[in-house]
Amino acid sequence: MDEVRLSVDIEHRLNEFHLQVRFVAGSETLVLFGASGAGKTTTLNAIAGLVRPNSGEIRLDEQVFFRQGGEGPRCYLAARHRNVGYVFQHYALFPHLTALDNVAFPLRDRRNRRNKASELLEKMALTHLADRYPAELSGGQQQRVAIARALAAEPKVLLLDEPFSALDLALRQRFQQDLRRLQEEMGLVILYVTHNLDDAFAVGHRLAVLQDGQVRQIGPVEEVFRNPVDREVAGIMGIRNFFRARVVEATPEGLLLDWDGLQLLAPRQPSLSHDVVALYIRPEDIKIVYPDRPLSDAVQRNQVSGTIAVHQRRAEGHILHIDLPNGHEVEMRFADYAYAPLDLRLGEQIQLSLRPEGLVVLQPPTGGQ
Amino acid sequence: MNWQPLVLSLQVTAVATVLLLVLGLGLALMLARRNFPGQTIVETLIILPLVLPPSVVGYYLLIVLGKDGPIVTLLHTNVLFTWSAAVIAATVVGLPLMFQASRAAIASVDSALEQAARTLGSSELEVLWRVTLPLARRGVLAGLVLGAARALGEFGATLMVAGNIPGQTQTLPLAIFDAVQSGRYSQAHYMVLLMTALGLISLWWVRRLEVPRRTGGGGKRHG
Repeated sequence: MDEVRLSVDIEHRLNEFHLQVRFVAGSETLVLFGASGAGKTTTLNAIAGLVRPNSGEIRLDEQVFFRQGGEGPRCYLAARHRNVGYVFQHYALFPHLTALDNVAFPLRDRRNRRNKASELLEKMALTHLADRYPAELSGGQQQRVAIARALAAEPKVLLLDEPFSALDLALRQRFQQDLRRLQEEMGLVILYVTHNLDDAFAVGHRLAVLQDGQVRQIGPVEEVFRNPVDREVAGIMGIRNFFRARVVEATPEGLLLDWDGLQLLAPRQPSLSHDVVALYIRPEDIKIVYPDRPLSDAVQRNQVSGTIAVHQRRAEGHILHIDLPNGHEVEMRFADYAYAPLDLRLGEQIQLSLRPEGLVVLQPPTGGQ
Repeated sequence: MNWQPLVLSLQVTAVATVLLLVLGLGLALMLARRNFPGQTIVETLIILPLVLPPSVVGYYLLIVLGKDGPIVTLLHTNVLFTWSAAVIAATVVGLPLMFQASRAAIASVDSALEQAARTLGSSELEVLWRVTLPLARRGVLAGLVLGAARALGEFGATLMVAGNIPGQTQTLPLAIFDAVQSGRYSQAHYMVLLMTALGLISLWWVRRLEVPRRTGGGGKRHG
């Protein structure tokens, strides 16, 4: 399969907002991750040709989509000539056309378009819904129609703007798999905008963290998770306690893990293809346990003792870093009113519980790493 | 009963309706999606006949179409007190209704759909033809029906610029006025009933067009 390269290096000002992004994506799924207003959608729009940046260059292999202000002649290719598949946030299906006609919309060959559209619907398991109008389809079905439509003209680039935000968890996981399969089969360059970490981990090969219109960090998903370049990026990711653990056993009760010598119980997983999993726990899900008090069920499990290594006072409360016996460190958080009566000191030994329900197991892309 | 006024009214309305479609839709498309300086002034001028007394509209038309007006000066043709003047008067008073309804219908089409069509390879003309117009269709048609009904009922401005010449410019509303003036009430009765029926039919039609349906603009409904 020929390697495709989409290179983006653009600058765009809109009132106060200043977008300045630069990245190269190959035949892979690159997740654009960030809070709303970080410039993710504007970046997609610039690539699709719906927003014209002030300057820079967008290129797919040798084909220049946009160029201004650099070397080489100016260029602005209209959206319709770029052949970039775009799945909009709310799908933007044509309400006056059936599912089949939506998918056939970009197809030009009059004799073949219906056949081709039928094939695509079949691929997305939508054949039985071909004659329905978008308003008669569920959110998940609409989304599959939108993907089929975006792929109908056989683009090399597929842009997805928060495609799974409207779906429930079970559907999400299914589409995450579908998307990985499509990417591999068609060798697509997929740019995937989301602010959901689980999505990012499930579909992404690489991750670009955007903030205030800039790419703060870009790299393999796991690496960005594990080694955020600075505290800000870590903050954007919303991840504090990220680690990897070996799967010991999948029991009906849950997943038994070994984190460098510390035994942990995590929630059951629908499917598991690796013996090492990546997971995280939110600081709020780590609780202090007192031996002299009755234990609630929630903190019975996953107990460990640790030493208070760092204490920070922030506007939103208190942050503690605890050294664990397995050589790692976890972060805990307390609201002001909860922290004061605890009367904790640096260097003090405390007993912790990592609530099993708080452990989030991230499913890596199959075949990755 | 003399059918000539009815026939004449229908002819005038038919031509005016075609003009309404072309002008109203054209202006709505130009003004619905973009902003330019002076836009409000243009829009106000288009809608103004809606609130002006017919005699005022007729007076302006007399100036524009009259001896020293631009039409005579530039085109060397006289339209005053001809059939064409009746068409022009009918179009001018129908245009505000057609324009407003079409403009609103076009503006209400989700621009993301038009953007999607562009990314799917459509030219601007194709976007218009395959997305914007099909989705705005009902509102545009409702405006056209209303505008046509208004054109059919035009009286005051027509009287001023086209006169009241039986067989040439005497449309139904004028014939009713004439009949009442000369005491032919039984004739007036029939024509009044006819006009009322036409008005009711067009309102019923507009109402049907404006009731939103689940499938948007689609013709058939599927299970």
